[in-house]
Amino acid sequence: MDTRSTQLLKGTLDMCLLATIARRPCYGYEMVQQLAQQGLDLVSEGSIYPLLGRLQHLGYIEGYPVASRDGPKRKYYRLLPAGAKQLEHWRAEWETFAQAVERILKGERSDATSGPAYPTTDR
Amino acid sequence: MQRADQHTQQQIADLVNACAGYWELRGIERARNNEMQLELEQHLQQAVHDGKSLEAVLGPNPLGFAEAWAREMHPRFWRGGARCLSGLVYVLSIVSTTALISQLLSRAPAFTLSIFAAYLLTGSGLLALLLQLGGFLAPRVRTRAGREALMLAGAVLAVLILRLAGIKVNWSMALLSWSWPMTVLLLILAAFLFSLDVWRTSHREPTSSVRRVPMFVASVALFDMMLFVANVAIVDFCGLALKLV
Repeated sequence: MDTRSTQLLKGTLDMCLLATIARRPCYGYEMVQQLAQQGLDLVSEGSIYPLLGRLQHLGYIEGYPVASRDGPKRKYYRLLPAGAKQLEHWRAEWETFAQAVERILKGERSDATSGPAYPTTDR
Repeated sequence: MQRADQHTQQQIADLVNACAGYWELRGIERARNNEMQLELEQHLQQAVHDGKSLEAVLGPNPLGFAEAWAREMHPRFWRGGARCLSGLVYVLSIVSTTALISQLLSRAPAFTLSIFAAYLLTGSGLLALLLQLGGFLAPRVRTRAGREALMLAGAVLAVLILRLAGIKVNWSMALLSWSWPMTVLLLILAAFLFSLDVWRTSHREPTSSVRRVPMFVASVALFDMMLFVANVAIVDFCGLALKLV
């Protein structure tokens, strides 16, 4: 993954994790798999754990043990009401941001086809 | 889930161990530390089972990963200090029992702690810590023997550099010297601090606290013996050899 994608992912990973947990409770590895299925490959998968710790500390999610077929209990995460509210806020924030970026990028492209977008000198 | 090969299992175990030791030093409470260890181990196992490398999970810097996670768990400085208390109790017990034994054996009124004994004590502590934290090298150096050899080579290199820099040490030089009352006082202090440490952990792990006492006594006795043998074997032997030369 290139540096720009990595930086973009870094700034949005907590939001993506919260959205993933909002769909249904899951454990760390499962979240990584779901993100990968959606096209987000993490450079280091372990980077989700500090974020999960932060989200838990903020009271957005909570961890709980679930018996596993493969061995000891697994820690699952589920969304809390404060997390659902925060996710709504983040969604709205992201939509505004993404729309603004999209407008700028599309504008650049349409300017390029319709003529010079830079100021020219009067003669 | 199928288990990875023996080498990979050892790599995972050493990495998780290194992270756990680091988190303990950073002051993360035991229960949370255990939870984090288990979560990390399960993730690594599943990733390896799916054909991923350890680096894909922890990135190029496992220590950085451990620190990033520790920071988000809001560690308390005094909890890290609790780990230091265990180390202090251990050192105090070894020094006071060594003093007691040598004063009893030689019927001397005072005990002298040489630079050599102090070096052995701090060196062993540092080595134990380094060997545990050496697990962070697991994604790069596959075998445990390789990691241990690398750490030891680093230590030997450091000693050689100091030697080349012209630093010479008189190993038999006295660092501290004290008489009987001080030895007894140190023993009482060590016993008091050990009881405090056992009491601190007893409400969390009552069964391990019971096992801790004989294990602690045995390890102190073993270290005392090692210190005694090292003193006799190295200092006395070298002294004798120098006299003969």
